[in-house]
Amino acid sequence: MAVDQDWSNVYPTAAAFNPSSVPLPIRMGYPVKRGVPPPKEGNLELIKIPNFLHLTPPAIKKHCTALKDFCTEWPTVLDSDEKCEQHFPIEIETVDYVSAGLSVRNPKARVVTLRVKLSKLNLDDHAKKKLIKLVGERYCKDTDMLTITTDRCPLRRQNYDYGMYLLTVLYHESWKTEMWENEKTEADMEEYIWENSPSQKNALDTLLRIRAAEKTTEVTREELLASGIVENYKTSVVALKNEGETENNVLQYKESVMKLLNLQALQ
Amino acid sequence: MAAWGGVSRLWRRCCQGPGTFPVNYSSRDMPKQYRFLLNKDLLWVQFSGLHTDLHRHKDNSLVSISDEPDTLYRKLSVLVKGHDKTVLDSYEYFAVLAAKELGISIEKVHEPPRKIERFTLLKSIHIFKKHRVQYEMRTHYRCLELKHLTGSTADVYLEYIQRNLPEGVAMEIKKTKLEKLPEHIQKPVWDKLLSVEETASTS
Repeated sequence: MAVDQDWSNVYPTAAAFNPSSVPLPIRMGYPVKRGVPPPKEGNLELIKIPNFLHLTPPAIKKHCTALKDFCTEWPTVLDSDEKCEQHFPIEIETVDYVSAGLSVRNPKARVVTLRVKLSKLNLDDHAKKKLIKLVGERYCKDTDMLTITTDRCPLRRQNYDYGMYLLTVLYHESWKTEMWENEKTEADMEEYIWENSPSQKNALDTLLRIRAAEKTTEVTREELLASGIVENYKTSVVALKNEGETENNVLQYKESVMKLLNLQALQ
Repeated sequence: MAAWGGVSRLWRRCCQGPGTFPVNYSSRDMPKQYRFLLNKDLLWVQFSGLHTDLHRHKDNSLVSISDEPDTLYRKLSVLVKGHDKTVLDSYEYFAVLAAKELGISIEKVHEPPRKIERFTLLKSIHIFKKHRVQYEMRTHYRCLELKHLTGSTADVYLEYIQRNLPEGVAMEIKKTKLEKLPEHIQKPVWDKLLSVEETASTS
C-alpha cells in the first residue's frame, strides 16, 4: 500500500472494516489463556463495531470547507441574552428525534413549548393580574416567564399555531374587564393594599383618639394620612405583608410603631 | 426610518443586480437556501459584510440566496445515546471538530450519567424457578450544547451530523427558536373594534 496516498480516497464513506486496506496492526477481542488479542485478519469484532475511518480530521476539514458556503453568520448585534430577549421576546422549543427502527416518526416530536416574559408584552396592571390568574400554574413568578406547552394536535405546525393562538387569546382577554370582576374580594387580591384596610382604620382611629385625649388642635383624617409618620407605618406594614418577615422588615415596623405612638426606645 | 427603507431597497437591487445566479441543480446535491435576516434594525450589520459574501457565493453555483429572513436559534442541544461509550467518544470528537470548522460556538460538552436497565427471567422454559438469568441494557449519553446559530447553519450542521451518525446510536435535538412578538399582540384589539362599531352604527 502506497504511503503517500490520500486516506479520504480509501474510505470516502462509511464502510465496514477491511483488514487489507487499513495498514494498522490492530488487535481486538478477548485473548486466549496466556495469549494476546486476536489479529485483524478475519476478526469479526472489528467488522461489527462502527468505525470512523471515513471521518479523519483532514476529511472532516475538507467536508466543512465545502459546506461553509451554505452557512450564514449569526448577527453580531445579538451577542448577549438580554439583547436577544429585547429584540426577540418569544422562544419556541421543539425536539427532533433520530433513531433507527421500523418507523422514522416519533410521536413525541409534535410537542411545542412557547416561552415569553410578561414584561415584554404590552400589559397594564389589571391585564397582567388577570393574565396570571387565567394562566395559573404556567407562570413562574421568579423568572417572570409564561410557558405554554401544546401537544394536542397531531402535527408540530398545528401545535405551534395553537400555541400562538392561545397567547393571542390570553392577551386580548386580559385587557377586557367583565362585569363580575367588580366582585373581587380581599381574598382574591394578589398583594396587600393598605388603603381601606383594617390596619389603616385602626392606625387613624388610634391617632385621632390620642389627639382628642390630649386636647390638642383638631387634625383631620386627610392630614393624618398625608403626614410622614403614617406613611412610614404604611410602608413597613406593606413590606411585612408582601415580602414576609425578614429582620429588616420587622425592625422597620418596630421603629415606625414607636414613632407613631410616640414611645421612647427602651434602653 | 427613511434611511433604513432606502438601504433595504438598495440591498434588493444589489441582490438581483449582477444577473441571476446560474442555478445548476445536480440530482445528487440539494441546493441550500441562503436566507438573509431582513429585520430593518439589524440590516446594517448584514449589509457591511455583504459584498465579500456575495462575491464568494457568486462562484458557487449550488448556493441560492433568497430574501426570506433566516430563523435564529438561541440554543441547539444535541443528545446522543448509545450502548458503547467509545463510539460516543469518537462521535463527540467528530461533532466538536465539525462545529469548530463551521464556526459554531460550543457552549458545553458533557456526559450525563449512564442508565442501566436490568431484568431477571427464568432460565428454563418449564419449572426450575430457582434458576434465573439476568440481562441488562446499558445506555450511555453525550450532550453537546451549541449556541447562537442561524437556520441555514443549523440545517447544514445537523444534516452533516445526522448523515454520519453511526449504527446503533440515537439522537435527540432540542432547538430553541427566537421569534418576534406577532403584530396582533402589540395592542389590545378592543379599541379598534369599538371605533369600528361606532362608525358602523352611525353610518
